[in-house]
Amino acid sequence: MSVQIRVLEPELDRLEGLWSDGLSDTYHAYLDQIDQPKLALAAALIEVGLRLQGLGGRAAPATTLLMGDLCLARGSRLLADHAPLAVQVAFARAIELLSSKAASEEPAPPARQLLAASLGAAR
Amino acid sequence: MSANRLEFATTSATEFVDITSRIQEEISRAGLRNGRVHLQSLHTTLGLAVNENEPLLLSDFKGLLERLAPAGAGYEHDDFARRFDIRIDEPVNGHAHCRQLLLSPFATLMVEDEQLVLGRWQSVFAVELDGPRRHRALAIQLEGEFATQGRETAESLVEIELARQLMVDPEPIASPMRRLVEAGGKRLRPRLVQLTSAIGPRNDPLRAAELAAAVELLHNATLIHDDYVDESTHRRGRPTVAAAEGPERAIAVGDYYFAKATRLIAQMGNAGVTSAVAEALEAICASQIDDVALRGTYPGDRESYMRVIRGKTASLFSAACASGALLSEANSDVVGALRRYGDLLGTAFQMADDVIDFSPTSGKTVGLDIKQRVLSLPLIYAAEDRVVGPEVRSLLAGSLGDAEVGRVTELVTSTDALARVREEARSLVEAAVRELDAVELDGLRPALVGVARSAVDRSS
Repeated sequence: MSVQIRVLEPELDRLEGLWSDGLSDTYHAYLDQIDQPKLALAAALIEVGLRLQGLGGRAAPATTLLMGDLCLARGSRLLADHAPLAVQVAFARAIELLSSKAASEEPAPPARQLLAASLGAAR
Repeated sequence: MSANRLEFATTSATEFVDITSRIQEEISRAGLRNGRVHLQSLHTTLGLAVNENEPLLLSDFKGLLERLAPAGAGYEHDDFARRFDIRIDEPVNGHAHCRQLLLSPFATLMVEDEQLVLGRWQSVFAVELDGPRRHRALAIQLEGEFATQGRETAESLVEIELARQLMVDPEPIASPMRRLVEAGGKRLRPRLVQLTSAIGPRNDPLRAAELAAAVELLHNATLIHDDYVDESTHRRGRPTVAAAEGPERAIAVGDYYFAKATRLIAQMGNAGVTSAVAEALEAICASQIDDVALRGTYPGDRESYMRVIRGKTASLFSAACASGALLSEANSDVVGALRRYGDLLGTAFQMADDVIDFSPTSGKTVGLDIKQRVLSLPLIYAAEDRVVGPEVRSLLAGSLGDAEVGRVTELVTSTDALARVREEARSLVEAAVRELDAVELDGLRPALVGVARSAVDRSS
């Protein structure tokens, strides 16, 4: 495990299984965009969380939904602790858009596209 | 605290002015539920007394004052030749000053359930000793738990803010949340935000209402997902979002208000508040996972139970208290004390909820927690009971139909489990109240104590 990942380890508590199951790849995709591991992890957690929940598709079973909820909550807490206000707001708005489209059964833009744009909100 | 002046005129030299109803009006106007009224005469020849309003007795009092300090008895105060800087209209009133010395210029009266605490024959008098006077005034201050007008105003601010936020949201999202919000709920978390946001130097009721409404939306968002997880069909007497509109809609609505509430809180621009609420939300989600995992070893043990409810319930109570105080820029000691108060209160609240699940008069279905295998302290205690424990554990190990749930309920109520949990909840509330002792709360202590006690001593 790299030094960088070790720094993130406490933030992966209870989510270790997800790391090897796609969270790591998603994290690295965001890390390519922004050289701030905690923000990249926040974005990755939110993307994976939404996917786990089945937002916009078929509802996840209860236990998977709860795992998705925890990903979202942890991502949100990481943003609260480490991101500028504009980024926090952009992320929240991205989730609002995705969930309102899901509720209306309308097509939504890809989550990664929205979340990546949110990361850029501070610039 | 509420402050005002009681003003009146007097019509004779010595006069007992009954001000009882005026004080009671002030109490009602300010909405003082429990506390004290402080009165202070703003004159050196106007006293205060509590006694019987019987005309002959009042005449006796006047006679007594006259005998003890007769008018014109050669008071040095009335020797204007020996005094400096006297007004042209300076009254000859040495007797009146001396008489006031026999009375009191101030009084503190108790208030319980919005009523002055007075004996059957007691009235409160302002005693004119140098009348008649066109203008007399008493300072009046009320302190304690303000339960009516102030609270109603605060509550309506939250309701308005909730309605305002729901009004601008897309209908497929807003409609299910509106049903949930309009179905009621205790609004304890927003109440705690509002109370604690009045403690620090930056007390802004509108900002407090915004935060309180956001916290309530966040709480409701978690309930919407919970109901899907627990397969609940009804909440607050109405179908759950998952039951009425399907799990997909429930997930979307929960996510939307999770995001919106966190955005509204972030936009308030107080990093401490944002972090406090975000940490609570994370604790709630982690505890939900534990809660579901523990259903495999149902009913579990006290230690696991405490860990789960501190995350699931107490964390948001604690964050509500801390975030209100942080918003008002209260000092860190106060924030810390309120955080601990909220944690203890939230834990006690959940225990009280567990007890209510066994009450046939609560308006809820008895034994619903058992049916859904929700962690419950009375059940844990009953399962540990030497006499009924084996049967409780055996029933819980199998499938739980109405007959089994009914029998478990019967067994739990036959033990001292409910009394133990009720007592434990009350002890936690007293511990929460003690947390408030060491810090200055600007007169809000009685209200916080009232909220804590009513959260536990309830039937629904």
